[in-house]
Amino acid sequence: MPSNNMNLHLTHRSLRLPALPPQPKSWIWLWLGIGTITISAMIWHLELSFPTVLAGLGNILEYLSRYANPDFSDWLNYLILMGQTLAIALWGTLFAFIASFLLAPLGAKNLSPHPAIYRLIRELFNLMRAIPDLMLALIFVSAIGLGPMAGILALAVHVSGFLGKFLAESMERVNPGIYEGIRCTGANFPQTVMLAAVPSILPEMAGYVLYVFDRNLRMASILGLVGAGGIGLALHDNLRLFHYNESSALILIMLVSIVAIDYLSAWARRRIN
Amino acid sequence: MKVWNWRLPTRTGFPPWSWILSLAILLGFLIFTAFVVEFDLLRLLRSISSLINFLGYWVTTPDWDYFPQLVTKLWETIEMGFVSTAIAILFSLPLAILAAQNTTPHPILYHTTRNLLSLMRALPDLVWALVFVSAVGLGPLPGVMALIFVTTGFLGKLFAESIEVVDRQSVLGITATGASKLQTLVFAVLPLALPDLIGTILYILDHNVRSATVLGLVGAGGIGYELVMSMRLFNYGRLVLIGTAIYIIVTILDRLSDKFRSRII
Repeated sequence: MPSNNMNLHLTHRSLRLPALPPQPKSWIWLWLGIGTITISAMIWHLELSFPTVLAGLGNILEYLSRYANPDFSDWLNYLILMGQTLAIALWGTLFAFIASFLLAPLGAKNLSPHPAIYRLIRELFNLMRAIPDLMLALIFVSAIGLGPMAGILALAVHVSGFLGKFLAESMERVNPGIYEGIRCTGANFPQTVMLAAVPSILPEMAGYVLYVFDRNLRMASILGLVGAGGIGLALHDNLRLFHYNESSALILIMLVSIVAIDYLSAWARRRIN
Repeated sequence: MKVWNWRLPTRTGFPPWSWILSLAILLGFLIFTAFVVEFDLLRLLRSISSLINFLGYWVTTPDWDYFPQLVTKLWETIEMGFVSTAIAILFSLPLAILAAQNTTPHPILYHTTRNLLSLMRALPDLVWALVFVSAVGLGPLPGVMALIFVTTGFLGKLFAESIEVVDRQSVLGITATGASKLQTLVFAVLPLALPDLIGTILYILDHNVRSATVLGLVGAGGIGYELVMSMRLFNYGRLVLIGTAIYIIVTILDRLSDKFRSRII
């Protein structure tokens, strides 16, 4: 319809549209530029040469091919080690759960009996989280000797910090009416916690515990590096001695068990929600 | 005054059988594994004194001569965290677009990328650091490579999840103007997901600097190596400094990323 088009054109002309508002300034290129320059400077300072890595890709493929035929001749030993790793993760989670379950209500702002206690407990959680678990494992190994017990304690201390923070935060998110209702009946502190806070966050709590267990399993598989039990020591020794076939078998066993536990806990989390 | 007075909302008021069963299995496994992990309460209680004894060594004068070297190593650790995060973002963004249900070109590609990402993040970074150290030698390079590898898996998954929850209507608005797939992605999906993405990046940055502090244990750069060596040599003057430095760095990072995240989200 040419006439119609013409009309539109004409009105457009005669209307004299007001000038468009100025285009919003986009800072994204500036930020990206600053980021790129900073990161490049850091790469240069660390003396990382990714070009050499890329150029040596053929070598890397050759290197990876050394892992191609895993040697499972010692499989029973490996499975026992993996079982021990699993047990360390489980016990670590258990201790962390007990500790954080007891401390979390004191570290929740709306439940804590006194603001000073709240601050103190939160700082304690922060301290526990801030020390890397391998450093804790080193400390416990020096203090109580080699073996899985040191690993369990390291995981328990480190993870209590995480779990305690998570639990305290979800207790703070609970609808305040629930606490009020329980307190109106004259409930004391443990009763408020057990009858109001814990039932309200039960599904969340289960999710966090599963998450922490997953995390613990990953950590437990490397705690062996510092002599704190589990499969990590065997992997370390085999890699040091360039036993690629045994190392590849160990890595495969770790991979399969971790992925299996991941699926299991994902399934459990779906069931809970 | 009973604290434990529960009637669960089931027909009998007792927890369902599946709960009891799983709890029993868990307990059985714990008891069964008690000897595997050499669990010994008496030994544990007895070792408290040696633990206190050990912690007593930490109350010592710091070795201030070591301070300049400490700062260099610490800076290296922080740089490793930043560099690996930046490069992992570059790798994981395209992978995340393939692994998000609403932006993936093909379902097969979606499943492949998802599985690839979960495989990448399955093993802890120290295992990869061990492998890369034996591949390219000592130094920060294997550490950064391990961190990039593992965090690409994490970032890819988290990015994909935040892309999937983007508001459909806003994306449709851009599509309705005749935008191509790429334009929709750049002008609708990514800007909408941006706050989430930044939150994820901060979390990963925090995680990477934390990991970088211990990667040195296997010779993959950073302050971890100094930590282990001082521990082996019982050099408590240095240990105090290293421990405090790691604690301060991690705490500052934790606080900063908490603050940023609460401002963005």
